Amino acid sequence: MRQQYALRSMILVVFLAIAGFAVIIQIIRIQYSDQAQIFLLQGDRYSGEFQMMYPERGEIYDRNGHLLAGNRTVYEVGVSLREVKDAQALAFTLGNYLGLSYEEVYDQLVNSPATWEYVVVQDYVGAETVTSLQGLVKQMNDAGDRRLSGLAFKPHFQRSYPENELASNVLGFVTRDGRGYFGIEEKYNDLLAGNPVQVWVPSDPNKAMEIPRVPNGTTLVLTINRDLQAKVESILDKSLVEYGAENGTIIVMDPHNGEILAMASTPRMDLNNYSNYFSLYDNGSQYNRSVGMAYEPGSVFKVLTMAAALDTGTVRPETTFVDTGAIEVGGITIRNWNRDAWGQQNMVGCLQHSLNVCLAWLSSQMGMQNFYGYMERFGLGHPTGIDLSGEATGRLKVPGDTDWYPVDLGTNSFGQGITVTPMQMLMSVSAVANGGRMVTPHVLYSMLRDGHQYNVPSQYAGSPITAETARTLTEMLSASLEEESSQALLPGYRLAGKTGTAQIPTEYGYDATHTNVSFIGWGPVDDPGFMVYVWLSKPSTSIWSSETAAPVFSEVAEQTVILLNIPPDLVRSQAVNK
Amino acid sequence: MQATQIIHAYKQAPWRVQRQWVGAFLLFVIGAAMIAALYLDVTARAAVAGREIQELRFEITAIQRTNADLETRLARLTSTAEMQSRAVALGYRPVTPGELDYVPVPGFAAPEPAILLDAEDVTLQQSAFPAEYSQSLLEWFEERIKFGGTQ
Repeated sequence: MRQQYALRSMILVVFLAIAGFAVIIQIIRIQYSDQAQIFLLQGDRYSGEFQMMYPERGEIYDRNGHLLAGNRTVYEVGVSLREVKDAQALAFTLGNYLGLSYEEVYDQLVNSPATWEYVVVQDYVGAETVTSLQGLVKQMNDAGDRRLSGLAFKPHFQRSYPENELASNVLGFVTRDGRGYFGIEEKYNDLLAGNPVQVWVPSDPNKAMEIPRVPNGTTLVLTINRDLQAKVESILDKSLVEYGAENGTIIVMDPHNGEILAMASTPRMDLNNYSNYFSLYDNGSQYNRSVGMAYEPGSVFKVLTMAAALDTGTVRPETTFVDTGAIEVGGITIRNWNRDAWGQQNMVGCLQHSLNVCLAWLSSQMGMQNFYGYMERFGLGHPTGIDLSGEATGRLKVPGDTDWYPVDLGTNSFGQGITVTPMQMLMSVSAVANGGRMVTPHVLYSMLRDGHQYNVPSQYAGSPITAETARTLTEMLSASLEEESSQALLPGYRLAGKTGTAQIPTEYGYDATHTNVSFIGWGPVDDPGFMVYVWLSKPSTSIWSSETAAPVFSEVAEQTVILLNIPPDLVRSQAVNK
Repeated sequence: MQATQIIHAYKQAPWRVQRQWVGAFLLFVIGAAMIAALYLDVTARAAVAGREIQELRFEITAIQRTNADLETRLARLTSTAEMQSRAVALGYRPVTPGELDYVPVPGFAAPEPAILLDAEDVTLQQSAFPAEYSQSLLEWFEERIKFGGTQ
């Protein structure tokens, strides 16, 4: 009996041992079989998935912390085809909620290739629509109705501009592929966008820690003052209507450090609807005329000619010039804007009456080398280096260029035959407003990254003239404004500035009926807190800058002193005396 | 004869030997079961913690999205156009320079642009979880062998 049990036990042991051994052999065989790689790959496939993690695009603020460009959540609405229970119900619901046709959605759900597991029905769907769709799905699920099974909502960010059109020319926009176009969005696209990271997201919860965190894009703080920007845009829009101008630009800059406080240009677009771009602009240079469009500035340029003449010692403010109404330069006769002879004038008078003949005489007296040498030092013909995309360089013809003629020495002196952008003019003249030091204009105030704020230091682009020349010329320009009782004046504040009315070149010579009107000015003259450049294109109520651009400057100056808290001269002098 | 007797005196009965073997085997089984149970418990808790971390991460992402949405919404509600229309509706109008009174304050410095350091980007910080929470015992041993006691 005992032996019988022993035998049975032995048989059982042998059987179990063989079975166990077979299992081990099978495991080893599978491990080293030809199909092992396939099994491993299958295992890997279900062990997780590669995901591209896009960082949240950095925000853009104005200098006082107002959000100019942020992000909002939108959804990709899709369907997991394997989970679809009722394609008709899904197509009907999605068609209704997303504004699509039933047939279109139904076709996607039913006729997609067999290998597809998921189809995107619509992307960039707003949160409100998705919330109501999700509510409907939940309601049906709670009632045990699974006809909408398979619906999936994948959230992601979309650029959003809470101020719509405000500062659109400065900001630029971001398309759906996440790329920035124009302005800050293009210039700092890499910084704002951050670095997308492709990561392996394991299904194994033990490995959840391996998912890396993707740093957000860098947040930017601009030098723009939102409230001033809004005022300037409003003044520009009103001016275009009031003076019948086609387009215009106004820039407000701090002459001490080159910070752009406001920069308005027309037309502007709602950045949340960037598809309007093609209906508003013929080409990219029109997007921001302040930096993208070069033009012949006319008499505002006389500030630079006079600066060079004073700095070289060619003339002094009291130097007299007898204006006969015409001067010959390079064999061509140059005349004044009204073709009159203004008689004996000192240099203030030359600026006050904007005498072309006088300025052409100045450039001739200085000589080509001096005149063009100074224009080079003022940075003309070169980009200003402002941190906005699409900057034009303008054109400064110099002796030796094939298209330069001797008469250009005369015409260039009063801003014809030379092209500049409004930003170039502002930068060049900043040397006069800032004690001889020329500032590099910039829009970026600081960057926020890694929890730190990095302020952008101001840069200077050289000192083309001495501080003494700058002071003298500022006094001359201020006096000339006061003596002519210019419409540019602002009660309570001493301002310096210069008008500019320029003929517009065409393929057939200069346009006889239209002009570009400009004004450049700054104040208060004893300690300039702002510089303003105004350019109105083809005004129809008057062709003269003194009647169009000058009052616009005054209005901008008025709002600027209010919003920047610049007290009148009297108040400031009293405060200093105390 | 004497020696044989001594050995015999200390030789245990067969049933005692069998019981010792069974006891040893049971001890081994119980030990293995305890280790297995412990391992299972730790693994299960790690899995639950891992899943919770995943869920928390999704939650963080969702909260970040909500924050971004709310921030943009707030910016919309306080946009220039909105504030102007609300100011006009409340009976306010833009001030003119003549209506402003300036009071000299000795030592007053104009405010600098807002410093936005409070907008700290938490996603840029190092992982808050120490390695002990994620590495297995084997990984810990491996690390010790590789780096000694310095890590």
